Amino acid sequence: MSGHVKNMCPQLSISQAARTLLSLLLVAAIDSVSAGVVCRKQPCGSSLQRSLKLTKLIHKESVDLLKTYKVSQGDMSELFCQMSINNVPDPNISGLDPSERMLSIYSHCKAFLPHLKRVTEQQTDLQPPSSALLSKLSTAQNRTNGLANQINCIYQTFFPNLPIPPEPVDGPTSVPPSQNVFQQKVYGCVVLKRFKEFLSRVTRELRTLKSQVCTRRTSFADTNALF
Amino acid sequence: MISMLCLMLFVPRVFSSSTQVAVIFPQDPALWMGSSLTATCTVSPERGLHANTMYWTLNGKRLPSSTYGLLSPNGLSVTLHRLNGSQQQSGDNLVCHSGDGHVLAGSCLYVGMPPEKPVNLTCWSRNTKDLSCKWTPGGRGETFIKTKYTLKYKLRWYGQERECEEYSTGQRYTCYIPRDLALFTPYEIWVEASNQLGTSTSDVITLDILDVVTTDPPDNVHVSRVGELEDQLTVRWGSPPALKDFLFQAKYQIRYRLEDSTEWKLVDDVGNQTSCRLAGLRAGTVYFVQVRCNPVGIYGSRKAGIWSDWSHPTAASTPHSEPLQSGSCDPKSGEQNSTLRRELKQFFGWVRKHACGCSGMSIKLYDQWRVWLQKSHKTRNHVDSTRR
Repeated sequence: MSGHVKNMCPQLSISQAARTLLSLLLVAAIDSVSAGVVCRKQPCGSSLQRSLKLTKLIHKESVDLLKTYKVSQGDMSELFCQMSINNVPDPNISGLDPSERMLSIYSHCKAFLPHLKRVTEQQTDLQPPSSALLSKLSTAQNRTNGLANQINCIYQTFFPNLPIPPEPVDGPTSVPPSQNVFQQKVYGCVVLKRFKEFLSRVTRELRTLKSQVCTRRTSFADTNALF
Repeated sequence: MISMLCLMLFVPRVFSSSTQVAVIFPQDPALWMGSSLTATCTVSPERGLHANTMYWTLNGKRLPSSTYGLLSPNGLSVTLHRLNGSQQQSGDNLVCHSGDGHVLAGSCLYVGMPPEKPVNLTCWSRNTKDLSCKWTPGGRGETFIKTKYTLKYKLRWYGQERECEEYSTGQRYTCYIPRDLALFTPYEIWVEASNQLGTSTSDVITLDILDVVTTDPPDNVHVSRVGELEDQLTVRWGSPPALKDFLFQAKYQIRYRLEDSTEWKLVDDVGNQTSCRLAGLRAGTVYFVQVRCNPVGIYGSRKAGIWSDWSHPTAASTPHSEPLQSGSCDPKSGEQNSTLRRELKQFFGWVRKHACGCSGMSIKLYDQWRVWLQKSHKTRNHVDSTRR
């Protein structure tokens, strides 16, 4: 990595010089900021361990959340969860190397959030105000947002040379348009079932990432920085 | 447009939020308890399903085929009589299935009754600044159709009808009007209840804000001993600060109990003083004491207000010995007794010094005389535990 910027180099365009300067600043910075999230460098093992603990917690709560959801929709709601619906994020984590898989976890967290929000809005109209379901949905949203931020920071710490994860676009196609009540019940069940399955996969993935990325004293990020 | 719709319908086993395999009518209806319903399920012909293989469930329970009607090769109806109230607020699930059990479409039934007239509407103002109201659903309460309550109010002689906007999520059937309330003029207040089946209105209540004023409990409640008197305690408190500028005739109540008892004893004749002596207490005993205030006579109103909450309990203990008299409030004598005792002590000291043959005079002699006085009383007034 170059330690200084060459001045008055006629071969370099202004935009290229600016990009080089920006890269230097980013590498030199101790704190990095992405999408409003301030990240500090963290020890490899402990940061992933914290995320793993948080994921386990959210997963455990998602099991209870789905149960509570089914009870509050009435009998026969088990069948609702088995139906197919478009545009609900699938629970699978994609990618070949650790950086891609971490990015996939982050993207999926962000992708689930608007759906959790929509389910919360719908159930607010369908349930009594004191329903435990509503508070559990709210908790799930908050914790998932927290997990996304953690994964974002870990990604930036371990892969500082890779592009900062872009914010997913919450366009009109990400959540379904207005639905009748029956459709809402089905939609909510599908979202929460896939959310639960996703968290189960994230738990396994973070364990794997911890062993891959945080090996002895050499972090994957350091190795990546050599190239 | 039509070709797009057909294209979407060809996708197998897909229940999409934007397309449906089948259509149920009516969709999510609100129905009276005891009424009948005929619903229809129509599958698109491209699905290749025949209606005579389809079936219905209601809340997971398969409905008997005797209730079905074959409308067309791809249309099946079901008729339900004497509907019971919905099992959950999200509605009963009426579902149309294919022969192999797959869900083709569903409709959520909201079976209940129109709301009954809300009752027991009461309102109160805290320190004349705001107005809170509460009510109770009428009849047997809400059925499983979401009922919306709207508290409305207007000045009786002029002004427009307004709606309360702050409904408490913690306490149901309450609403809060935080500001801009007129004094010395009556309001008319009522509650409207509405659901998908109808609307009902409570009786209108008329009130002047100044007639329904409550305030904060008295603060700085202190309970202390009355010198060495073993059956008495002095209670002192501050008048509620929010009303001190115009609270001329407040009245107070005190209640107290033994530490290990749940039975409160009430002292009702406190008037508008801010101190009181409790007497007839048990010696060597811990008491919990609370005070509350009624803002009577606020801004010259002659009506009693609404009692505040009780203050936080304050504890104190009586010195050891037996009680002397029954409970009453005499703020002056308590203070006099401690002053008297001090003076007696000084007097006895002077007597010992200056008077011959009085070397045995001391405050202990006075105490012994008091003990003798208690024992010589033939009747005791017991504090009535049900006094109000």
